Amino acid sequence: MSRFDATRRLSSLAAGDRGSVVRVLRDNPARADRLGALGVTPGAPVHVLQTFPGVVFMCDHTEVAIEPAVASAILIELAR
Amino acid sequence: MSCAQSAVIRVDKEPLLRLRAHPLRIALVGNPNVGKSVLFGRLTGQYAIVSNYPGTTVAVTKGRALVGTEVCDLIDTPGVNALEGDLSEDELVTRRIVAGGDVDVVVQVVDARNLRRGLMLTSQLAAYGKPLVLALNMIDEARSHGIDVDSAALAARLGVPVIETVATEGRGVAALRAVLSDAVVPSIGFAPGREHATWAHTLALEFRRERPRAGRRTQEQLSRLVRQPLTGLPILAVVLYGMYLAVGVFGAQTLVGLMEKGVFRGFINPLAVVLVNRIAPWPVVRDLLVGEYGLITMGLTYAVAIVLPVVATFFFVFGFLEDSGYIPRLAIFSDRIFRAMGLNGKAVLPMVLGLGCDTMATMTTRILGTKKERLIAVLLLALGIPCSAQLATILGILGGISFAALLTLFTVVLGQMFLVGFLAARALPGERSEFILELPPIRWPHMRNVVYKTALRVRWYLAEAVPLFMIGTLLLFGLSRLGWLAAMTKGAEPLVVGVLGLPAKTAQVLIMGFLRRDYGAAGLFALAHSGQLSGAQAGVALTVMTLFVPCVANFLMMIKEQGSRAAFAILAVVTVIAIGTGAGLNLAFRVLHVTF
Repeated sequence: MSRFDATRRLSSLAAGDRGSVVRVLRDNPARADRLGALGVTPGAPVHVLQTFPGVVFMCDHTEVAIEPAVASAILIELAR
Repeated sequence: MSCAQSAVIRVDKEPLLRLRAHPLRIALVGNPNVGKSVLFGRLTGQYAIVSNYPGTTVAVTKGRALVGTEVCDLIDTPGVNALEGDLSEDELVTRRIVAGGDVDVVVQVVDARNLRRGLMLTSQLAAYGKPLVLALNMIDEARSHGIDVDSAALAARLGVPVIETVATEGRGVAALRAVLSDAVVPSIGFAPGREHATWAHTLALEFRRERPRAGRRTQEQLSRLVRQPLTGLPILAVVLYGMYLAVGVFGAQTLVGLMEKGVFRGFINPLAVVLVNRIAPWPVVRDLLVGEYGLITMGLTYAVAIVLPVVATFFFVFGFLEDSGYIPRLAIFSDRIFRAMGLNGKAVLPMVLGLGCDTMATMTTRILGTKKERLIAVLLLALGIPCSAQLATILGILGGISFAALLTLFTVVLGQMFLVGFLAARALPGERSEFILELPPIRWPHMRNVVYKTALRVRWYLAEAVPLFMIGTLLLFGLSRLGWLAAMTKGAEPLVVGVLGLPAKTAQVLIMGFLRRDYGAAGLFALAHSGQLSGAQAGVALTVMTLFVPCVANFLMMIKEQGSRAAFAILAVVTVIAIGTGAGLNLAFRVLHVTF
């Protein structure tokens, strides 16, 4: 199965995956605001560090920990 | 240019002292954990508590700084990730400062590694039309991560001075002072309020160079070890055990023994008795100073000999952990548990801080996202989190009796906290916010900062607690002279002896506990050491005391943060739970014949 250039939810990624943010779903505007304020905005490079018990990822140069529900609102384009 | 000329120019352009209607007001603004408070310290020579996690500064600190020829007011603000959108309480504090007319110049402190996020904030700050200077802080750490920022080009693009600084070492601070008068409103080039993110992203790409780094750094490996459950939980156990050794054994036993038996009982108290007998040989004065409820033999001994050594060792260990960046990583493990209590993992920060001082921690609940979360956190702090002073006495008393007793106490208290949190999450209106937390980098703490912070907190403890210990002792002395203490003890007997199964004298201690939990606990410590409490009784008494509202100062802070209605409601709920739990525990111990 090809994973190249696929847009995936952050919650479905595995530790070690890299990519960049495509967009953050705005179904919960407060959540999108808070993520945006931490730099989780379109174009930001993302490196998944850990997926359990919470999702931890490096966004640009900020290490961010989130709960799974939040991770499913972040759309990532995987790097090749 | 001749000397005379330059002297004239100096008089014209730069007078020795400039007078304004009010001093120039400068605010330090920036993302959380970028070093605003360190820079504040460098500019003012005044220390503000500095830690390695977001949310250390939740209130505004003000100071004076000499900039060129004038004395300016400097304001250190709580860190902000944004000035618009969904803001937390402490972010609103900063926005009010920036938006109000009370600030003339803004120094935006930016973490040089995180230029993108810094610029996002710059674009939002620009909307407030305040002259700005950019301090590109931690430039050394950025360079060691392979990141270079073209600060000259960035300055040209934004039209504001950009100064590279390493605040912890004082580098670039003089340069920063020198350009403060050149601050101008940044030119953003787009209508404020639109697409900050895109603008910041483009700009960061343009002015930041990243060199790829080979291999994993120790810092990253350490960060991974502490946050992954397989390695992180054993590390947590080791950290807790280390804390127990440092605070519970070294502080509460070795140091307290040294201070209480050696210094106080061996030296200060006998000396005080001799001096009082010589100088003021009247019974009233003698009782007041060195009697059973004497200001020296009780008040000072409790505060300095029993509580101080533990508070000091705790603050030191805690300061070390704070600066290492370890504590926020605990949020990853605890998120699920806190979610059941209507909170999220972020609540671990005020809870752990509460182990140092519940009053400070109550203020830190401002970093939580919603009103409901703040209320639950304040309630749980009041109910279950023993502050360092109290932890000291718990460890000192129960540590000496049995480990099982200690375990019982913590299990009961944690169980109560969870139960109350669980029920409060369902009973109270409102929402919890989702868990989104920035993790600070793992760092080896600067020992100087840890020692300095410890000293500051110990001084703060002495200023805060000693007067209350004295007032409490005076109160007990007065009550005992008037014969009311005996009456109160008798009145409380059905409750204390009947329901809780404690010796009648414990009533006094519980009354003291209302003033400060640790003062009451220190009283228990004295009772237990003179053999007046059995193991099971000590367990019950300490549990009741732990579940009480911590102290008058904490109660006042609760009123300040949550309003008096909520504060009194919490007081009532907590008192009922404390006594109820004590009664239940007493019953359980009797039925099960637990003696420890």
